[in-house]
Amino acid sequence: MADLEIRDLRVSVEGREILKGVSLDVSKGEVHAVMGPNGSGKSTLSQTLLGHPGYKVEGGRVRFKGQDILELTPDARSRLGLFLALQYPIVVPGITMNNFLRTALNAHRGYDGKDKSKSVSPKEFRTLVEPYLETLRIDRTFLSRYINEGFSGGEKKRAEILQMAVLQPEMAVLDETDSGLDIDSIKYVSEAINKMRGPELGVLMITHYTRILQFIKPDYVHVMVAGQVVESGGAEVADRLEREGYAQWGEEVA
Amino acid sequence: MPFTKESVEEIASLHEEPDWLRKRRREAFEVYERLALPSKIDEEWRRVDFKGLKLDEFRAFEEPNGAAPGVPIDGAAGVLRQRGSAPGKVDLDPELAAKGVVFLPLSQGAKEHRELVEKRLFSEVRPDRDKFAAVHAALFSGGTLLYVPDFVEIEQPLVGQYWSSGGGAAVLPHTLIVAGKGAKFNYLDEFLSPSLDQPALTSGSAEIFLGEGAQVGYVALQKWGRHAYQFANQRVHVGKEATARLFNVTLGARFAKVRVEANLQGPGGMAELKGIYFASDDQFFDFHTLQDHQVGQTTSDLLFKGALRDTARTVYAGLIRIEKDSARSDAYQANRNLLLSKQAKAYSIPMLEIINNDVRCTHGATVGPIDPEHLFYLASRGIPKAVAQRMIVQGFFGEVADRIPFEQARRLVAEELEARLG
Ligand SMILES: Nc1ncnc2c1ncn2[C@@H]1O[C@H](COP(=O)(O)OP(=O)(O)O)[C@@H](O)[C@H]1O
Ligand SMILES: [Mg+2]
Repeated sequence: MADLEIRDLRVSVEGREILKGVSLDVSKGEVHAVMGPNGSGKSTLSQTLLGHPGYKVEGGRVRFKGQDILELTPDARSRLGLFLALQYPIVVPGITMNNFLRTALNAHRGYDGKDKSKSVSPKEFRTLVEPYLETLRIDRTFLSRYINEGFSGGEKKRAEILQMAVLQPEMAVLDETDSGLDIDSIKYVSEAINKMRGPELGVLMITHYTRILQFIKPDYVHVMVAGQVVESGGAEVADRLEREGYAQWGEEVA
Repeated sequence: MPFTKESVEEIASLHEEPDWLRKRRREAFEVYERLALPSKIDEEWRRVDFKGLKLDEFRAFEEPNGAAPGVPIDGAAGVLRQRGSAPGKVDLDPELAAKGVVFLPLSQGAKEHRELVEKRLFSEVRPDRDKFAAVHAALFSGGTLLYVPDFVEIEQPLVGQYWSSGGGAAVLPHTLIVAGKGAKFNYLDEFLSPSLDQPALTSGSAEIFLGEGAQVGYVALQKWGRHAYQFANQRVHVGKEATARLFNVTLGARFAKVRVEANLQGPGGMAELKGIYFASDDQFFDFHTLQDHQVGQTTSDLLFKGALRDTARTVYAGLIRIEKDSARSDAYQANRNLLLSKQAKAYSIPMLEIINNDVRCTHGATVGPIDPEHLFYLASRGIPKAVAQRMIVQGFFGEVADRIPFEQARRLVAEELEARLG
């Protein structure tokens, strides 16, 4: 049984069915790429996995580490070990990155403001953050800025991966982390993700382009069109996609 | 028991005031008697609900009963502590006194520094503005005079702490601040009382005068108990090239009707008006602000941010007035409200009155719940909803609170908000 099991997932947004029965299995230690054209439902899948309230699950199920997570709140899913790097990270005024990261990490440790022994020490926090600040080429001063405020598109995406590094999830959903990044940023981000890669981490890497796959080699590639997974295979699927584009699946889904 | 002429005389005697001030009180009392309560027909008072308030049920002043005032403020350059309606006790850094800084209970200041007080007192906050301003001028009980001479700079803040411990009385402190040319300092007024059963009538008004090039930060932190009805006017007179930074933090009282006003009277003058309010249970707050650009080349920058919970209600109405001759002025005004419950209601009414067109003027108002995308983002990182909500509200206030010009007040406000949001 896979660590993350998505079965026949159907999701609607504002009354319109977007995901029309998606099934995927992702286990720790594996990197899966999910590729698809704009509007095919990739972000709908990623947001649904974390329990965004705007997406309504109409059917199917999702199990993570054997637990049915569709009933869990987003914060409980995160603490269970799921992570989502947003396609469009948002600005939250007045909360510093530092405060955000520490509070999140403390929540993962079960620190609720009472038992100080559970709270992350400044030293431990530094040892977690600093290497990734370096890998991701994020200036330390970003930590004292408000969440994503005044960050460039690329900086926001790199900050998402920094959050991932701090929270050390078991399953990370990366929603088009590569979109809008220049080639240098793609390298930094890939370097960071490759550093985290290992038997304790599964990755569901959503992308529109094959470019990032040169840096992060996927074990499996899935193609999603119009709310359905229309093809699954190894890295060769991406190669075919690179040569022939998405049009080849146009017929099947029409 | 209604307020009477005798109560006016009694307060004047209690504070051993000079005759000219006694006479002022009498005149203000006449205005009080003449004026009717504001009516709902008046636009300013349309949404104000002070039913339950009976002016003739208050004693005219509160005997201090020895309860403790607020916690000391670290490193303050001067502190005035007042209990009830009695004159405050002052502690002032002797070095400042030697430089000519005057920091006294207002009545004593009126006696010893008539030249500073007589022409200014109630010239910006006028008794005939409404019945509540009149009763404040007639029965003001204590308060502070701070005078900082030309070019004197004070590193650490000065502090006024007003403590009321009994219900059923009027407690009406008044702050008069006079900044000489090029003077630089910060001031914190803190208004405190426990919540009591009997209603109280309170104020916390301030008149602040900035001479040429002066730079003054003023923070009013209102933490009256939930039995208080507060009527306050805080108004700053900004001279040439002077910079006033005024922060109004309204947290306490059952009812608060507050005006915050900048009177820009000198070219190059700048007023920053900032407000923070957090209303819960059945609290009602009404803020009317005025950015009055009387001359050209003046700047005003206003941001009032409030959060409301339970069945609280707030009104914000802000007026930017730019006079005919006030070219090249720059005014900004924004009011933002976070609704933390479905029953809470915030009204926001921006108004412009611009007679000169060669000006820059922007304003905006928002009223709404916490952005669900913000909540989701924090939740997706494992932060429980209640914690995320508190962080978002703190962050919302942080944008203003982080700009409070001195550390002691910044910390006090942050702690206070944290405790109340808890
Ligand atoms: N929050 C939303 N509100 C309205 N429509 C949405 C929302 N999210 C997605 N959709 C719609 O669902 C479809 C799939 O979108 P999305 O999941 O974002 O696709 P992708 O990420 O693959 O580009 C699109 O037609 C889009 O317009
Ligand atoms: Mg998308």
